[in-house]
Formats: sequence, C-alpha cells, structure tokens
Amino acid sequence: MNYTRRTWLTAAGAVGFGAVLTRCGGGDPLAPAASDAASAPLAQAERSRRSTKPVVSSTTGRVVVVGGGMAGLAAAKYLKVWGGSGVQVTLVERNPSYTSNILSNLVLTGQRTISSLVYSYATVKQNYGVDVRQGTVVGIDPVRRRVTLADNSTLDYDRLIVAPGVVFDVLPGLESDAARSRVVHAWQAGPETTTLRNQLLAMPTGGTFVMTIPASPYRCPPGPYERACVVADWLKRNKPGSKVIVLDANPFVQAERHTFETAFGGLFKDVVEYVPNAAVTSIDATQARITVDSLMGRVVGDVVNAIPPQRAGKVVLDNALVSTGARWAGVHAATFESTLAAGVHVIGDSCSAGIPKAGHIGNQEGKTAADAILRAFRGLAPDTDLVVNSACFSPITASTASWLTAVYQYDASTGGYRIVGTGPSEATRPTSDGYSQMNKWFATLMGETFA
Amino acid sequence: MTTTRRFMCGLAAVAAALLAPAAPAQTTAPPEGRLLASNCFQCHGTDGRSGFEEINGKSSTEIYSKLKEMQRKQPGTEDYGIMIPHAKGYTDAQLLKISKYLSTIR
Repeated sequence: MNYTRRTWLTAAGAVGFGAVLTRCGGGDPLAPAASDAASAPLAQAERSRRSTKPVVSSTTGRVVVVGGGMAGLAAAKYLKVWGGSGVQVTLVERNPSYTSNILSNLVLTGQRTISSLVYSYATVKQNYGVDVRQGTVVGIDPVRRRVTLADNSTLDYDRLIVAPGVVFDVLPGLESDAARSRVVHAWQAGPETTTLRNQLLAMPTGGTFVMTIPASPYRCPPGPYERACVVADWLKRNKPGSKVIVLDANPFVQAERHTFETAFGGLFKDVVEYVPNAAVTSIDATQARITVDSLMGRVVGDVVNAIPPQRAGKVVLDNALVSTGARWAGVHAATFESTLAAGVHVIGDSCSAGIPKAGHIGNQEGKTAADAILRAFRGLAPDTDLVVNSACFSPITASTASWLTAVYQYDASTGGYRIVGTGPSEATRPTSDGYSQMNKWFATLMGETFA
Repeated sequence: MTTTRRFMCGLAAVAAALLAPAAPAQTTAPPEGRLLASNCFQCHGTDGRSGFEEINGKSSTEIYSKLKEMQRKQPGTEDYGIMIPHAKGYTDAQLLKISKYLSTIR
C-alpha cells in the first residue's frame, strides 16, 4: 500500500479545543425534548466532565470520511483525538443532522419522540476540529486519491473512510413511490418512523400488523424482533385483540433467540404469530388491506412494515468497492481497508467483516480504522491484537429490556474475527433494571460517538 | 506450594507487571492498550469517565482484579450482568493492557 509519508514536523503545541458540552439539565430521557432538537439529546447523553483532549502529535495526513453515522463519526473523532492537529479530517454527510436508528422502535409506541433521537455534527466539529461538510460524495478515484461530490467539487485525501450505511432492495409490488409510501420499512429512522407510528395509531382495534424480516445479514440483528415485541405490547394495552404477524425470511430468530422465543411464546402468545422461513415474494398495497405473499403463504394486514433486504450504501456500490453479485464491501478485517481499492476503508453497516451490523459495533470499527490509518501515516504495521464487542439492550415491553453481548477476537491466521468466550450471550430475562440500563447505554454510546 | 501461596505468587507477578515502569516511549507507536480500552467507552463514556461506572484513573491492579473477578462468575448467579460474558471474551494479556491504559487517564 502506497502512501506519502510526511517528514516535516508540525509545530504541535498543546491543543485544547475548549470543549463545552451543552447542558440543558433534566435527566429523564423519556421526557419530550422541550428545547432545541439537536442539542437536547446530547444534553441527555453521557455527561463527560470534560471532553477528551487530542494528543500532542507530529503525525500528518489528510483523511476524508464519507457518511456521518455511528461508524463515520467515531472514525472522524478518534482520528483527531489520537492523531492530533496535523491530521486533517473532513467528514462529508448529506444530511444536516443524524437521526438514531437505535431506540427508534420506541417512537412506534410513543415512548420517544423522533426529535429526541436527532444528533448534531456541531459538537464533534467544535470539540475536535473535524471539518464537517454537508454534501454527497458520488465518485471515488483511488488512484488520484480524490472524491467527487454531487456539486462537482472534489476533495483530495491520503486515506479515505467510507461509511454510508445501507440501501434497501425494492420488494416486488413496491416499485411505485405510492406503494413505498404506504408500506414503509422505517429501518432508517426519520419520516418513515413517524409514518409507521401514525399507521399504528390509526389501525382498527382487532386489526393485523404484519412485519417482514429479511435474510441475514441485515442492519441490527435483534432490531426487528424488538419492534415486534414493543408493538405487540403496545397493541395489547391500546388495541386489545389486535394481532402481529412476523414473517421472517430466516429459519429462526437471529439474535437473543431465547429472549424473543420466550416473549413470542409467552407474554405475547395471544398477539404474535412468528413464521420462520417466510421470505417475502410480493406485496399488494393497492387495496384497502395489504396482501403479503411469502414462501409460507399469504397474509393480509391493515398495517404492513416490510423491512427489505439491504446492501452497502450507494457510494460504495457505485465505486467498485463491492465484488460482482455481492451486497457488502469486502475489507481486510484488521484495518477495514477495502480488498478492492488501496487506501479506502469501508466501515459500518456497508462492510462485511464477519461481525454484526450495529451502531455499537460501527463505533468500534471507526476506532479500529482510525488507529490503522494513523499507524500507516507513521509507517507502522497495523495492530492485530484486536477485539470487537457487541453489546445491546433490547426493549421487550414498555418497561422491561433484555441485553445481548458477544466478543469477537481478530484471528491473524484466518484474517477474520471469531466469536470467543461464552459465545452470543443474553440476559436471563427482561427486567425493569434492564430497561434503565438500556437508557444509560444509549445515552453513553451516543455521547461517546457524537460528543 | 499451597494453593494460597501459588495464588499470591501469581498475584504478585501480575501486580509487578501492572506497576512496572513502561518501556521508553516510542515516538510514534500508540500507547499500548489504547485501542482495546477505547472499546470500553461505548458503555463507560469517552475516556471511561461516565456511563455505567467510571473506569478511568483507578489503579491498574484494581481494574484488573475487578475484571478477573467478573470472569470467574458463572451463569445463574444473582448478579450475572452484561459485563460478565464481556470480560470472559478477553485474554489476560488484553485485560492487563486495558487496565494499565485506563489507569493512566486522569
């Protein structure tokens, strides 16, 4: 891999970015956001006594980060924290703010507002000196080391990190805008989340809510099952007699299997019908009720939430970072550098590295890639003593949550991650303590990523 | 040696490793344990200053001992929380690196 090693030293005095995290007071994460939408969630996020100060370092290099989600933000932040003032980091993101997918299922039950899940890019810019540009990267030239944006401007880089998230397949029958406005996935938090919430509010009591889950791998393995649970819980209390049909393309529950099987067969046995091996074949959204055909037969629903199969974000797909016929970008697992383009690292949901697609994991991929890039700038070999941990708290009802964890060690002999320790682990049962822990985990994770 | 003495010798060796002065710093190599420790921050806050429990600035022996204690817990015990299977996924060498690095964060 070729890179230009800068040999001059930057005069790097102690760099203090004088960070001030907005404090809006108040500690109840479930209270509606009374103040500015962008600052309130960070105020509710973990309260660092002070932000971490970037190291004094003589490292130099330019990095462009494409995509302002969990992985992109962590990468940008830690490139500055660990790299210091000589490392220039430009984050290009097409949206003016980030809306968290994590906990967006609670918007469907009215426990959270979508605005409470909106995060600003201003804090990372202010605290660490990340240059944040609103724009869309469309082209990548790995030879010239240059990206091109939709407005035809360009950015040169020494190393590129691409973290655009996922795009969704169009399910048969949902080719029209009208159909997709009616049958939403709400798997990218934002307007579709609000649409689905409103559909559930308007659903007749005794009606049927159909959810479809794509074949693995997809973004957030436990997420769809969490959604089925919290919606079932809400329907039990608010529209008794309503049903939830879960059509899962997979042969069994893909995360926290014990927790969700117990919930579906116990707490929600009169509400949820879980159907495995039921990949969706087509959807008809033209009639008053919506028909969903799958490999396990036909169901009809009043509200249908179809989560389609996913693949890497558009900028990854369009720039030869995915092998023919594949859905995800292949990467070297220790560095997340693309197997197809030198100097380009793909992190987050877009890549395939043998670990789950999740925000908590994307955050770590960002740090791993940042460390690998800084080592490369210094002429050092990448670290191979790597661990990725998955940790996630799943709401099961309006007041209880379970948790999952798994630890993956990088194995240099295979060049991949393997699960170690006790394997995939989950809470013995959902509890109210688990629910409080969920809120603390979420606030801490978002603070660590966006502040 | 008795089991107790073997344990104490082992603990002393670990303590020695944790308290030994670091090798002369490389001008460019990242501090050992920094990347590993950074993956505690999703739940413990940036630099370990918040979240479920503050983990920065404690003695490396204290942190290491706590992590090893978690590793010894078995499923079915009352306080089998998320940190236990977590701790079980790391090697001793990694826990040592993490503990040393966290102890340096003031």
